[in-house]
Formats: sequence, structure tokens, C-alpha cells
Amino acid sequence: MSRTDSYPKMLIWLIIAMMVLAVMALLVVNWTNVSRSKIPVWGELPQFTFTAAHTGQPFGLEDMKGRLNVVDFIFTRCRSACPIMGGNFSELYSLYKGSDKVRFVSISVDPEHDSLAVLREYARQQGVTDDRWVFLRAPVEQVRQLCEGGFMLAADDLPGGHTTKFTLVDHLGRIRSYHEGLDSTGMRILKDNIRQLARDLP
Amino acid sequence: MKAFTRLAIITTLATYLLIFTGGLVRVSGAGLGCPDWPKCFGRWVPPLSVSQLPVDIDPAQFNFALAWIEYVNRLIGVAVGLLIAAVAVMAIISYRRHPKILIASILAAVLVAFQGWQGGQVVASELAPLLVSVHLVIALVIGGLMIYVSQRAWYLERPDTEKESAYPAGLRMWVGLLWVLALVQVILGTQVREAIETAMHDFPLLPDSELIGAVGVMKYVHPLLGAVIAVAAWIIVFRLVKAKNRPSPIVWQSGWSVAGLVLVQLLVGAVLTFVGIPAVMQVLHMWVAALLTGAILVSYVALGQAQEG
Repeated sequence: MSRTDSYPKMLIWLIIAMMVLAVMALLVVNWTNVSRSKIPVWGELPQFTFTAAHTGQPFGLEDMKGRLNVVDFIFTRCRSACPIMGGNFSELYSLYKGSDKVRFVSISVDPEHDSLAVLREYARQQGVTDDRWVFLRAPVEQVRQLCEGGFMLAADDLPGGHTTKFTLVDHLGRIRSYHEGLDSTGMRILKDNIRQLARDLP
Repeated sequence: MKAFTRLAIITTLATYLLIFTGGLVRVSGAGLGCPDWPKCFGRWVPPLSVSQLPVDIDPAQFNFALAWIEYVNRLIGVAVGLLIAAVAVMAIISYRRHPKILIASILAAVLVAFQGWQGGQVVASELAPLLVSVHLVIALVIGGLMIYVSQRAWYLERPDTEKESAYPAGLRMWVGLLWVLALVQVILGTQVREAIETAMHDFPLLPDSELIGAVGVMKYVHPLLGAVIAVAAWIIVFRLVKAKNRPSPIVWQSGWSVAGLVLVQLLVGAVLTFVGIPAVMQVLHMWVAALLTGAILVSYVALGQAQEG
């Protein structure tokens, strides 16, 4: 009789251990996938009609639908937060080039100074070449109403007191998440959510 | 079995389990489940709900599943760290006259402490691909050291383990070479993973099915070397476990483990290349690689014992 006859036992244990761990891995991966897909709906945006700088035409909620939208509130004279927010928007804008699933919407909180021409020039400076990033203008009172009532974000003392949050709005015009526009963690989670929600797009 | 040998073997098994859970953290995307380190959302026990988050943290960051998966990996990591520390302390107390065991134990303890800190750097870098790879390689080195310590302690207790065996001369060198090739292959594998991660970062909406296409020349080099290793492994194992060698249980089992694992590995690799990159297959591919390098090392150390003994 060979010495080796009774040895397969340990190998069988190894195989069992691998199968148990594989099942565990399946469960864990499934759990995380489900948890990631649960992005809450914070509310639906109300109808609004502002003016798009690049066309001079009306632009409203219906124009946002069908794509994912990342929305921020800025003004071109702003020298504190906006350059950082604009830098982050620029980065995202070039990151998602080649896909029309994501649109960026910057709403001016300083319409008195930010004429359509000023906004167009600002867009040019940011490197915007197509309608994946649009700049909107409306009377300041309407902007305040949309920001506070629709986006549920603070809009005190405009233009200086505008929010630095980026809001992710899905293809049905619903608010899905808020992200701090000034830090990299906010950007990372925003990208994760975009990846997730893009799967639901037609 | 002596307490030290038993502890070393348990620690080795725990280390390979930790390598698995570490891989699971990566493929499930839980690496940043806790955005801080060593605490998780500023707490020693991760939050159970958003309401427990510190006020200065953005609630969008919190995902219960991801936080707890990362946290459990850290807990197992601490447990393995303590086990290895215990092995080192016992080695210092009782194995001072056995420098191979002593040095390997202390080296493992130093490395595991470094690994804990380096894991924090992985989190701080927001999962920089290179740091993720370094984390894996260090883990494999620690696993290898623990195998070595366990096996040496075993032979100390049972010096006759390889007495009856008679392996062909020169085979040990080939097993050693196979081990080196397997380690090179692991490094190449991390390059494939890094390329996929970079592609996901640069083209965030690229579907998973197209990611493998973004891997450059490594897409061919890695499978090719894999095939070479598989053939070489079978030839070597075949010569190793022959009945006329009278192989010891350790050699017989590690040899057949190597032969079996290379086949599993080829199969999983083929799925990843041709079918897609489901997370479970990714973590299996990494873990089987870890087991494979471990099993080859066991054969190598055993052949060394056979030569001495």
C-alpha cells in the first residue's frame, strides 16, 4: 500500500473552503451592489424656464430630462469658491466627453452682471465647446426661488451667499444626491453615483 | 503538536483568509467604505445609520454595507496582526537557537505592522492602484514567511518527515524557479488590474465588458506566462509526486495542490478574459494565486528538508 492513500483528505478540505469562500464572496458582492444601487430620491424639481447662454433660447426642466444633470450655482465675478467649483466642473466635463449621458448646468446667481455674453465668455474660458455644459440666466428672484424651493439649498445674500453644493439630477428631473463642490471626496462619490445612475438610462 | 507549531499553522491559515477578505474589499468597492483610518467615520465602531455620522461628514459618503465590509477586514487584520505578534514573541522566548524560525517570525511581525500602516496609506490615497498592488505583495510575503515558520517548526518536531523520500536531484531548483515565475506572474496580474482601474477612472461610463480591451500588451503577456507556468507546474509536480520518490504527505499534498490550483487559475483567468470581469471571479483569481505561490513554497521548503535530512 502506498503511503499516499489517505492524503486526499486535506485537499478535499481545501476545495470545500474555496467553495464556501466563493459563496461568501458572491453574497458580499451582491450585498454591496444592492446597497450602491439604492440612491434616494430627495425630491422632484419644479418647472422653471431660464435662458441658456449658448443659444439665447429658453431652457428648463424638460430640457434637463433624458440625461443625468450635475447642477451648480455660480457667478463669474466670484473669486473665492467659484474657481474651485468651476475647476471641478471642468474636470468632470472633460472626463465625460464622448458621452452625452451627463450634462453640466451652471446657474448664475448674479444675473445683473452675468449677461448672456458674459456667461458665453466665461464658458469659453472654461473650455466649453458643446452643449454638455450649459450656463443659465434668470432674474435673481427666480434663481433664489428655484435654489431654495426646488433644490432645497440655501440662497441667502445672493450672489455672495450661494451654495457650493453640486446637485445630481436624474433623467426624470429628480434630485438624487448632493455633493460638496469644493473637495475631492465629494467628487469621488458624485462619480460613483453617476456611474450607478447611468445604468438606468435608456 | 507543540503550541508554537499549532499557533504558527493557525496564523498561516488566518493570513490566507485575510488575503481573501482583503481581495473581497477591493472587488466589492468597499475600500473607501471607511473614509478615514484607523477609525471609521471618526468612530471605533462604524455607524449603523446616517444619524450616527459626525456632523462634519457628508452623509452621501456613508454606505452601511461598504463601511462594515471594510471594517470587518480591518478587524480580521488586527486579529492576524496579534497572532503574528504572538508567534514572534514565542519565537523570541523559545526558539532563540533556531535562527531560521526566529528571523522569519520577527520579519513577519515587522511586516504585518508595516502592512497595517500601509493599508491606511491605501485609504488616504483614495485607493491609488500602485499602493493597492503593494498591499497585496506585502501580504503574500507575510503569508510566505508564516508558511516557512510553520513548516520549519513542524520539521523540528518531526525531523523524520522526509527521511524515507527520495526526490530526483535538481528538482528543488525547478520548484524554486516555478515559485519565482509565479511571483512574477502575480506582479503582472497586478498590472492588469491597475490598467483596468485606470481605464475605469479615465472612462467612467465604459461598460465592464469593454474594460479588458483597455489593458495593453499585458493582456497577452499575462495569460501566456500563465500557460507556461501551468505546463511547467504539471511537469514538475508529475516528477515530484511519483510513487517511487516515496513523497512525504506534505510534498504529496502541496504538489497536487499546485497542479489543481494552476488549472483552477487558468479556468478563472479564461473567464475573466473572454466572458467578463465579475467581481467574484476577480477575487478568486487573486486568492488562488496567493494559495498557489504558498503551495509551491511548501514544496520548495520540503525539498530543502529532504536534502538536509
